[in-house]
Amino acid sequence: MGASIPQLLVNGVALGAAYALIALGFVLVINAVGAVNFAQGDLVMAGGFVAVTITEYLTPWANDNLPDLAFIGPRASAVGLGLVILPLTMVVMAVLGLLFSALAYAPLRHRPPVSVFISTIAVGLILQHGANAVFGPEPRVGPPLVVDGNFALGPITLSIQQLSVIFAAGCLITGTGLLLSRSQLGRQLRAVAQDPEMAEAIGISAGHCIAITFALAVALAGSAGMLLSNQFFVAPSDGGLFMLKAYIAVTVGGWGRLDGAAFAALLIGVFEVMMAAFVSYVMAEALLYAGVLLVLLVRPSGLLRETIQRRT
Amino acid sequence: MKAGSLRNVGIMAALLIAPVAFALSAGGYEQRIMTLAGIYAIAVLGYQLIFGRLGALSLAQGSFFGIGAYTTGLLGIHLDWAFPASFLASLIIPAAIACIIAIPVLRLESHYFALATLGISQIALLVGVNWTEGTGGANGLYGVPPLRILGTALDSSEAMLVVVWCVLASAVLAFSCLVKGRAAHRLTLLREAPEAAVTAGIDIGARRLSLFVASAAFGGAAGALQAHSIGVVSPAVLEFQVMVSILAMTVIGGRGHPAGAILGAVLLVHLPEWFRFLEAHYLVAYGAALLVAVIIMPEGLAGLFRRWLVTQERWAPEPPRTSKPEVPTTLAVLHLVGLCKRYGGVVALDNVSITVVPGEILGLIGPNGSGKSTLINVASGLQTLDAGEIRLGNLDLTGMPAHGRARVGLSRTFQTPVQALGLSPLESVLAACPAGLDERRAERHAAACLSAAGLTAPAVPTTSLSPAEARRLDLARALASGPAVLLLDEPAAGLTPAERDDLACCLKHLTDSGLGLLLVDHTMDFLLPLADRVICLATGSVVAEGPPSMVARDPAAIAAYFGEPPP
Repeated sequence: MGASIPQLLVNGVALGAAYALIALGFVLVINAVGAVNFAQGDLVMAGGFVAVTITEYLTPWANDNLPDLAFIGPRASAVGLGLVILPLTMVVMAVLGLLFSALAYAPLRHRPPVSVFISTIAVGLILQHGANAVFGPEPRVGPPLVVDGNFALGPITLSIQQLSVIFAAGCLITGTGLLLSRSQLGRQLRAVAQDPEMAEAIGISAGHCIAITFALAVALAGSAGMLLSNQFFVAPSDGGLFMLKAYIAVTVGGWGRLDGAAFAALLIGVFEVMMAAFVSYVMAEALLYAGVLLVLLVRPSGLLRETIQRRT
Repeated sequence: MKAGSLRNVGIMAALLIAPVAFALSAGGYEQRIMTLAGIYAIAVLGYQLIFGRLGALSLAQGSFFGIGAYTTGLLGIHLDWAFPASFLASLIIPAAIACIIAIPVLRLESHYFALATLGISQIALLVGVNWTEGTGGANGLYGVPPLRILGTALDSSEAMLVVVWCVLASAVLAFSCLVKGRAAHRLTLLREAPEAAVTAGIDIGARRLSLFVASAAFGGAAGALQAHSIGVVSPAVLEFQVMVSILAMTVIGGRGHPAGAILGAVLLVHLPEWFRFLEAHYLVAYGAALLVAVIIMPEGLAGLFRRWLVTQERWAPEPPRTSKPEVPTTLAVLHLVGLCKRYGGVVALDNVSITVVPGEILGLIGPNGSGKSTLINVASGLQTLDAGEIRLGNLDLTGMPAHGRARVGLSRTFQTPVQALGLSPLESVLAACPAGLDERRAERHAAACLSAAGLTAPAVPTTSLSPAEARRLDLARALASGPAVLLLDEPAAGLTPAERDDLACCLKHLTDSGLGLLLVDHTMDFLLPLADRVICLATGSVVAEGPPSMVARDPAAIAAYFGEPPP
């Protein structure tokens, strides 16, 4: 039984929107420190597990203390709990991001970017196998954002979870964009990304800005982990593929470009869902890798023009 | 053989023999672990070539390991190929695959290179898991025949251990041959100062290709031994875990010296044994060890013993006796004809034609942004030309890559010289000497170039050079390829008046042998007395040309550059 095209499109956009959050965090770090964060995928996975853990604590409390809204459904008291879990997950992950920057970046800030590349591989290993030790290898299901279930739009059935994922991711992406373009903090972050020495010279602390960037990037990864954990579950070994998708999105979208990365991530999500539905998941993966190799063969400096100087 | 390298051989021999002797005395289980360490050390040696020596973060080394394992498995099971034929095939097939993927991959910037090699290894894994008829899919291949040498099956753990470590010893030997002497210096220069290396005539593409292919062959050899050793090939050999292990061993052991490969592999293969309490999660310890290593010992375990380990043979600092270069200056006229270069909408060079004749100093002046540096960049081949022609004597250099131009006699220095800090000044110049010179003549030539550039203490560490000395080293390196014409990009910037006078003397002296100089500078009391002719550029066009005194009074040059006529 195949799903209808509109349903697949919603699936693809929901997946792509989550990928876009991952890719945004990935680009933010690239711009701030000129290095690839290889642990970005494992941080997504960590976000999923943080959401699962928060849910485990919150659900009994909600069952006891919230009024029973029996007319909505059997798990009615948990309705909308995801709207609390998402920001909580992001806060926890932002703190993890500060820790991550202190551990994997700060000691290496005067070394070539490849050192950071390796230290993030190391942190990724620790996260992946640490999660394996704590939660076990079995996939766990995360909380829905609002409520499980579908609603019918004429002949088309759409999942409420996926629509709310698209809405939440859209809000987060827009929020990140506004934060960077409109706020004083965003201007400082961009100044440090462009030229840390010059930023220091006009009184911006590059160290603080870079730590904030890591916190933001990891919080975005965590939000994606929470949003994906309901439909796709979360398992310790998930990280690698998320990281690859973000890496590919950034390459296709133009190294260092936030808009390009988000757009490319969206396309990758739609492509993956469509290919998996009509051909096979393996084919979707293989074509994606072959595609990025082709892009690099034809355009060795990425599909869109780079906006930052190559530093690695 | 020098004392340093003799000690090096001794240490390597001890590192190769001690683990085997220990394992032989410790029993079967330890023997199997040490066999695995030897296998990984071979793959790590290969990875040191591409990552350690060349500085390219390849993420495909694990896949070459896996492809080598599958080659041995498939040939042994389906075609009854035995050692050494199957082993050779397991070297050649990964190397051939490396050759093919090198075409799109090797010219990429480092972050794209990492992604591309990662993408390739993902494709290899997908093939390994899903090509069920060929690779046995997720189940893998069972019953890989044991190693067979001269008709005897080597299925005991002792025999396998000894064979693996003998192959490792040969791999160490091959590694040393690939990166000995000036070849090692060239790689360091390429890694630490790529633009200087390219403009000194070092072919970056050829080096990358040969090392990438060699690293693949090393990986394949390790995979083949692994297949024989455990008799099974499963898609696990293609998983990213193998790559991570190799990377961790390289970083923890040390990325440049073969001793690092052995130390890293022996240590990390034993790590799960020591962290038994973590059970299957020992990889947490891997990650932690990798993180600690990259933070506190950037040169790895081998770096801790660097006093005893010689990465590159040091040149004995004898004073340069001869000042006669071994490579004579060829006399040739440089013609730059109708050069055009645009950056988007900005016209940097608009139909500029310049000729430099042997033995002359041509001064090139003009305001910032007038195209002087662009001219030197397009002439030396670091940037491409939109239109125009570059000829040196009878040779057309227009389509030639930068290293080719340096080899036929067009050299350059840099406005901000980047030095290879891992090399002594003499080694930097040696790296730039033509490959045709033998070691002794190259050393004499390098010493002559250093003294011609006025750098008298070439044995001091490059890190302790003053800015003026760093410029002299850059000049010496540019002289090493035996140029006919030398392009100098602001050589006097940042020098004291005394250092400037020295430099002027030195440059004047260089032209005696017929070397032509194109000299860009903003210091007029340095350039005007020195130059035979001066050209003034403004917004990408020549506005004045002639003897220095005439150009200094030329209304166009005054309007564009001088601002007021000199008194």
